Amino acid sequence: MSSMTNGDLGSLVSQARSRVPRIAEAAVERARLSVVPRMAPRRPGRVPFVALVSVLLVAGVAGLLWFNTSMQQVSFTATALENRAEALQAQRQGLQMDVDALRNPQRVASAAKHMGMVPPANPAFIRLADGKVLGDPVPASVDNSIRIDPLPTRRPKNLTPKPVIEKLPAASVGVDHKKTTHGGAAQPGTTSAAGTKKNR
Amino acid sequence: MPQVRRRRSRGGRALRGTSLVRLRIGFLLIAMVVSVFAVRLFELQGVDASAYVAKARAEGVVTVTLPAVRGSITDRNGAPLADSVDGLMIVADPTLTRKNASDIATIIARRLGVDYFDVLQRLRQPYTRFQYIARRVPATEARAVVREIDAHGYKGIATRRDPVRSYPGDDVAANIVGFLNAEGQGGEGAELMFDRLLSGKDGRATYEVGGGNRIPLGDNSTVPARSGHNLQLTIDRDVQWYAQRALRDAVQSSRSNSGVAVVMDVHTGQLLALADYPTFDPNSYQGVSKKRLGSRALRAMYEPGSVEKLLTSSALVNDHLVTPRTRIVVPPELPIADRVIHDDVAHPTWKLTLTGVIARSSNIGISEAASKISSRRLHHYLSEFGLGRRTGIGMHGESPGLLPPWQTWGPVNKANIAFGQGVAVTAVQMAAAVNTIANGGEYVAPSIVKGRATTNDGTAVGSDTVTRHRVISAATARKETSMMETVTRDGGTAPGTAIPGYNVAGKTGTAQKVDQRCHCYSSARVVSFAGFAPADNPRFLVYVVADHPRNGGFGSTVAGPVFRELMGYVLQKYAVPPSGHVDRTPPLTW
Repeated sequence: MSSMTNGDLGSLVSQARSRVPRIAEAAVERARLSVVPRMAPRRPGRVPFVALVSVLLVAGVAGLLWFNTSMQQVSFTATALENRAEALQAQRQGLQMDVDALRNPQRVASAAKHMGMVPPANPAFIRLADGKVLGDPVPASVDNSIRIDPLPTRRPKNLTPKPVIEKLPAASVGVDHKKTTHGGAAQPGTTSAAGTKKNR
Repeated sequence: MPQVRRRRSRGGRALRGTSLVRLRIGFLLIAMVVSVFAVRLFELQGVDASAYVAKARAEGVVTVTLPAVRGSITDRNGAPLADSVDGLMIVADPTLTRKNASDIATIIARRLGVDYFDVLQRLRQPYTRFQYIARRVPATEARAVVREIDAHGYKGIATRRDPVRSYPGDDVAANIVGFLNAEGQGGEGAELMFDRLLSGKDGRATYEVGGGNRIPLGDNSTVPARSGHNLQLTIDRDVQWYAQRALRDAVQSSRSNSGVAVVMDVHTGQLLALADYPTFDPNSYQGVSKKRLGSRALRAMYEPGSVEKLLTSSALVNDHLVTPRTRIVVPPELPIADRVIHDDVAHPTWKLTLTGVIARSSNIGISEAASKISSRRLHHYLSEFGLGRRTGIGMHGESPGLLPPWQTWGPVNKANIAFGQGVAVTAVQMAAAVNTIANGGEYVAPSIVKGRATTNDGTAVGSDTVTRHRVISAATARKETSMMETVTRDGGTAPGTAIPGYNVAGKTGTAQKVDQRCHCYSSARVVSFAGFAPADNPRFLVYVVADHPRNGGFGSTVAGPVFRELMGYVLQKYAVPPSGHVDRTPPLTW
């Protein structure tokens, strides 16, 4: 540092003046609007976002469609199974009816009778504790059987008319003809009377 | 701009006229058409909107009835007496079936057993589009028939729901179970009396269909069906069958009008069998006369005859007026007021104890004994035994019988009532009365429903609701039982009803029937036999009645054998051990 004189001061001020406009100039330069330099085109995640959204959309629609379709498909199966269940239920009932018909006491008794079985004569038991026979066991016989079918219905009176019995006189008819005309006249009378009786 | 003005001013007026007019006319026409549209739009959207919406909704919507299953009626062990089966009816559209009527009719007649010519005529019926072909066909058979018809390519046959009620036992217990009529309602018996309990309530399912299948996400609503409740009877089907066959055999061979057989459990009052003859088959009830359709055992009244002597003698013994050993002189006839009482058989003067009067069933003897009791007191006892009142068993049409008020009893009435003429009872009433003696003197109301069930008019009936009351003391019941045991031994009226190994107590009954024309007693009889076994520890009571046996039979010859068969069967079936000893009975004569 050298000592400063007035002349030096003046030169300093002029230096400052020339420096300040330079600073201001730089600021002005900076403040002056200018086009921002274009950088490399980098959009932050816009395409992925769009892609994501569109994928979601498509997936949603497709999923809904698939869901709906599969449910409709399943409903076909459900209807088919319901029908099958109904048919099986009806079949089971048919079989149950067959079982009940086989268990019908009339049928069982009829089959037993065909085999020659009869109801027991007296109630009798064997006590298993000591093997004692209780009651009066008598061998059952045909007399003990009961009638399990109804008697045949009787025919109504219209179909079973009482037979009308007509007693004809023996060979005396020819003999009387040879006799008097009175007898002859009488004979046709009686035969005609007998005839009317018959017709009645 | 000036050019345009010039053009316009040159032929302006002519141009304005035609194009403007055309424009205006055009606008007018358009406005008219659009207003029509607007009105129609308003009509469709505003006024008729709901109707169209409903129509659109109804297009694909199906309402299906969810059928309710009718409850089944079973016997005490669960054997089915009445069962509901899915059934279908086959209907035809004659306009479509006319072409192939004979082929279709052949298939149907062959498979279902329906009359060929009837079906043929229906398939060709003119002026109609609906004909019933077969009703109440089990679903499997109906579907098989329709499948066969479709396989041949014939059109016009369809099925509809028509539930079938099957009665697997045919006529067994038909008088109690009743039948179901063509409308699906109970026609008689338990089917009628418990109709509300048995029939459920149909449900409804509404949903959208497409192509015959249900659309899963469409509108749907469901009201579930409520099935009916089952009804369990106290009847044992095997005992009922045996009772019906034995009874029918006896009634037919004795040429009686009708018969009734009651089998009762002594201690609980439950009816194991209630047989009627004649009866019917509920599977084919059409054309059967109405008299057969009900239960005569509960409805028909008759004079009980000598079986009632048990009640009279119980009353006398219970009041300590007589004992089984009381000596009674029995003349051949007994004049009372203006009448003369006879016994069933003519006899010289007998010297009988009360036991002998019961054993020989002497009307005169019991009338003499009954002179010791007042009419009022006897009426009280008979009323306590259940005469003159409904048993409350739960079947409709039950008759209360007839017990005249004691104030109206003259000396002849009282004597008649003492031996069972002049009162009217039903078979179940009388069985319950004799059961009182078997049950040690306690009357227990008979029941036919096991557990508890509610009838159509809201009454709860069943074995859980029976009432009991004491009529005679246990000692009286024992004495009466020992008197009854003499009837089934030699010296009694029915020695044929004895069962070897068991003590059997019984009583024959032979009552004269009233002739409606002369209002007097005729020679026709109502014969009966009531008894229980084993007498030392009673388990079962059997009561058999036959109306007017034309072969001249008595209680011992017509009803007695049925009693013997039924009692032997029931003792064997329920494994009741024999008594092992012979009870001592009081002497018959002195």
